Amino acid sequence: MNRKFWALISLLLVAALLLAACGQQPSGGGSAATGPVTIRFFHKWPEPEHMEFYNFVIQEYEKTHPNVKIVMESVADEPYKDKIRVLMASGEVPDIYFSWAGEFSWKFARGGQALDLTDAVMNSDWKDKIILSAVEPYKWQGKIYGVPMRINAKFMVYNKAMFEQYGLQPPTTWDEFLAVCETLKQNGVTPIAFGDEFPWAASHYIGDFNAKLVDPAVRQADYLLTAPAEQLFTDPGYVEALSRFQLLMDKGYFNEGPNGISHSGARSSFIAGKAGMMYIELEEFVTVADGMGADAFGFFQFPSGTGGKGDQKLLTGAPDGFMVYSKTKHPQEAIDFLKFLTSPEMGKEYVKRLGIPSAAVGAVSTETALPIVVAGVESINTASGMALWLDTDINIKIVEVYLPGMQAVLNGTKTPQQVISEVQEAAKTVQQELKNQ
Amino acid sequence: MSLVSTSESVRADYFQRSARARQWSRFFAYLLFIILTIVALYPLIWVATNSFKTDLQLFEHSWSLPKEWHWENYARAWKFGIAKYILNSVIVTVIAVLINIAISMMAAFALARYQFRGRNLLLYFILGGLMLAPEVSLIPLFRILTTLKIYDTYLAMILPNVAFGLPFTTFLIRSYMLGLPRDYEEAAVIDGASPLGVFWHVIVPLCRPILASAMLLDAMRVWNEFMFALTFIVSDNLKTMPLGLMSFAGALREQWTVVMAGIIISAIPMIVLYLLTQKQFIRGLAAGGIKG
Amino acid sequence: MTISRLLSDRRLTPYLFLLPAILVMATFVYLPIIENFYYSLFRWSSIDPRFTFVGLNNYQRILNDPIIAVSLRNNVLYAVISVFFQVFIALVLAAILEGRVIRPRWGSFFRNMLFLPSVLAITVVGITWQLIYRPDTGLLNQFLEGVGLGFLKRTWLGDEGTAIYSVIAVSQWQWVGYVMILFIVAIQAIPEELYESARIDGANLVSQFIHITVPLVRETTLVMTTITVIGAFKVFDIVWVMTAGGPNHASEVLGNYLYRVAFRNDEMGYAAAIASLLFVITFLLTFVQLRLGRSGEEV
Repeated sequence: MNRKFWALISLLLVAALLLAACGQQPSGGGSAATGPVTIRFFHKWPEPEHMEFYNFVIQEYEKTHPNVKIVMESVADEPYKDKIRVLMASGEVPDIYFSWAGEFSWKFARGGQALDLTDAVMNSDWKDKIILSAVEPYKWQGKIYGVPMRINAKFMVYNKAMFEQYGLQPPTTWDEFLAVCETLKQNGVTPIAFGDEFPWAASHYIGDFNAKLVDPAVRQADYLLTAPAEQLFTDPGYVEALSRFQLLMDKGYFNEGPNGISHSGARSSFIAGKAGMMYIELEEFVTVADGMGADAFGFFQFPSGTGGKGDQKLLTGAPDGFMVYSKTKHPQEAIDFLKFLTSPEMGKEYVKRLGIPSAAVGAVSTETALPIVVAGVESINTASGMALWLDTDINIKIVEVYLPGMQAVLNGTKTPQQVISEVQEAAKTVQQELKNQ
Repeated sequence: MSLVSTSESVRADYFQRSARARQWSRFFAYLLFIILTIVALYPLIWVATNSFKTDLQLFEHSWSLPKEWHWENYARAWKFGIAKYILNSVIVTVIAVLINIAISMMAAFALARYQFRGRNLLLYFILGGLMLAPEVSLIPLFRILTTLKIYDTYLAMILPNVAFGLPFTTFLIRSYMLGLPRDYEEAAVIDGASPLGVFWHVIVPLCRPILASAMLLDAMRVWNEFMFALTFIVSDNLKTMPLGLMSFAGALREQWTVVMAGIIISAIPMIVLYLLTQKQFIRGLAAGGIKG
Repeated sequence: MTISRLLSDRRLTPYLFLLPAILVMATFVYLPIIENFYYSLFRWSSIDPRFTFVGLNNYQRILNDPIIAVSLRNNVLYAVISVFFQVFIALVLAAILEGRVIRPRWGSFFRNMLFLPSVLAITVVGITWQLIYRPDTGLLNQFLEGVGLGFLKRTWLGDEGTAIYSVIAVSQWQWVGYVMILFIVAIQAIPEELYESARIDGANLVSQFIHITVPLVRETTLVMTTITVIGAFKVFDIVWVMTAGGPNHASEVLGNYLYRVAFRNDEMGYAAAIASLLFVITFLLTFVQLRLGRSGEEV
């Protein structure tokens, strides 16, 4: 064995130890009040543009609060769902963490991991600075556990040039929608770009169908598991929802193999002009606009539920927001930073930089955002309400049956009725478990 | 490197006897291995050529060579943090491997050179780890690391990696030691050396070749380790390359060509290390006969 | 100074040398396994860490969980296919490379190139192949189209019928070259005279392979088979990176399902029970291997 090899090894060792020594973070946040306060902040937007925004906010905040240090971490959307749980289990819970609205946030409240923010929001000027309707889905047993950062909803976007070429109008009913698809298909164009590699994408469709095909009170009782066990998810609207979804697949209105394509991959092909329509979130408008030009596409509300018992004026969508850890050592500072982060000033900055609607009052205007985004926000304001993302609005154990079932329907390996039967079983089990606790 | 020793006379004789059949089998053998080499390498080459394109070009023609070379994909990937992830991998790998080798050396020494009560039991105790699936320990390990207050630190990756690498390196080094002559040790003991002296001044120098091999194999394993890093690390600043690459791909979403550049940057260190140290690699494999 | 006396007691020397290894193994390998069994008797989750004792309920659930059945089936598929490629095919390739047909210099080149995929990190491999399998821009479908096999095009990772096979194929791509090298090493240990005398008797390459190579690398074959089979039950990372078990759990394997149940479905106790199942399986396989190994020695 030659000397060089060993020299290299020792060099590497010294280097590694040095690096490890300086790389190690001051963990925890130090001992209580005397020293500087460290607030750990965890979210799901590691994309470079988003990180720039959050870094900017942190810098601004630390300027005026020299005793506070914000330590930020982020992982992408899909891994976030595991990572936040891993953190909860480790006890190293961040002081401020992202949560989807609805059930996803309520389970933190149930598990005693979220701080009650009712007083902080309602008894201060905070309540005047955020859109209060966006706070609603973060309420559990009448108390506020989360504060919205941004608002979001799902729309069908379409390629204007294609619609013009084939003489198509944005459809307003389910039948019109199918007719549009058929025309596009007849002309050799993929009607709808759809990537369902991670099945939350399908759940947005199904959530929308459910909201419009099932009576709101019935749906509420099913999602919240307050209906009697034998009645859970028995409304025929649920099967109809999956059947309509299946129809889009069977008719060849989706691109081939949606289960093998990521949502962003499908979006790329819509942007590249390879599909006529796509069901996307308002926050994605800016990406599409960057890719194909802000005038190249339009949007309409997905007329998914014509003839159903649900509320046709509902929009699928939800606010995205943050919660504060119940056992944080620095509740005051954490709340204060969160207030700063969700303030109209930062909200405007957010909209300007990212083109995504903020939940702060007055942040979205034609000065800060694209006209099409402003129009989207107006649609949200005129909608009769929001149907939250299905995958974060019902209990995770039901989600884990429901969403793979949607993939199976796409693949033709299960019928809508089979999937719903499984959902019913899962719902009964979960209801029982919750009662036992 | 010549692992193959051939007797030229036999070869010449054989050539003459069945020259034509030989030609054909040679042709097919070469053809087979050329195809296999393409299958083995082309995926990476495809990624490499596409990493210089724009996303649009990737969509249009992923076969062709890039028309103009977009080095900025590499700059973006690098800037986004690939460099940081590779650095973390170096730190974790070097420390874990060295701790592991030190502990394994001592354990192998005791197991190879001493007679004592419970030796077989302890041998199985250590080698048993070879067969265990790390997933089984995952949830409890997670709680142990939390209790030790080392969750989300380098140590959270280093210690489990040492534990799950130790059986193999101990096995490897012990086998080698069993084949070493005892003369030097006996001479050293007669000269009055302590066990530690024998270990340090006689055994360690004699074991250098296998240590190098064991280090390389273990380094490859730690470098590529994924599950512990996935579960025990949150901070982006501590992520090792395999995990970092995944968050990188997640964060960049559809910017595939930049992701491809990241893949290539991540793949290079191990490829270079392997090409530089094939001999040690193969010796380690030959001695261990076990895959990671 | 009792400690220094203890240290100088020669009878203790081997134990002292072993102490660090024992401590590390006990703390990070064996203690967790025992704890795991304990955890599997409770219902608890990461978000709500209250432990509810449920006895053997979690194990009962394993018996009735269709996804466990799918996972086991996939693990078995993984094992069978891997044994075929990584043991049988790798052995044949090794024999060809060592069979004097290919010049040593080229042999060494091919060997190195086929080995290369095995040094790559799992995410490098996984993401690369995700890109290759992409239905529209992926290399594989473009290739099939290009050579006139367009009808074979698939959504490789998105189709319930092909997902697990597509993942298994990547494992073969990565590991065949590695095992091949191990067989090359084993073949090189076979005395050359055996082949010479066989040739003089007029044996062709195939019969040399069957009558000399295969019997004489029996031990390596056995070791590789066991390790491949056990490895097929341990598999986690490649599945997690490529499909995360989808679509519709079609490519679920035990390791992946365990992780999902623990950190996505909020059922740590059930995940611990699945881990116990995995432990029992690997333990049994090891036991079988030891028995086979022993009978091998006797023959």
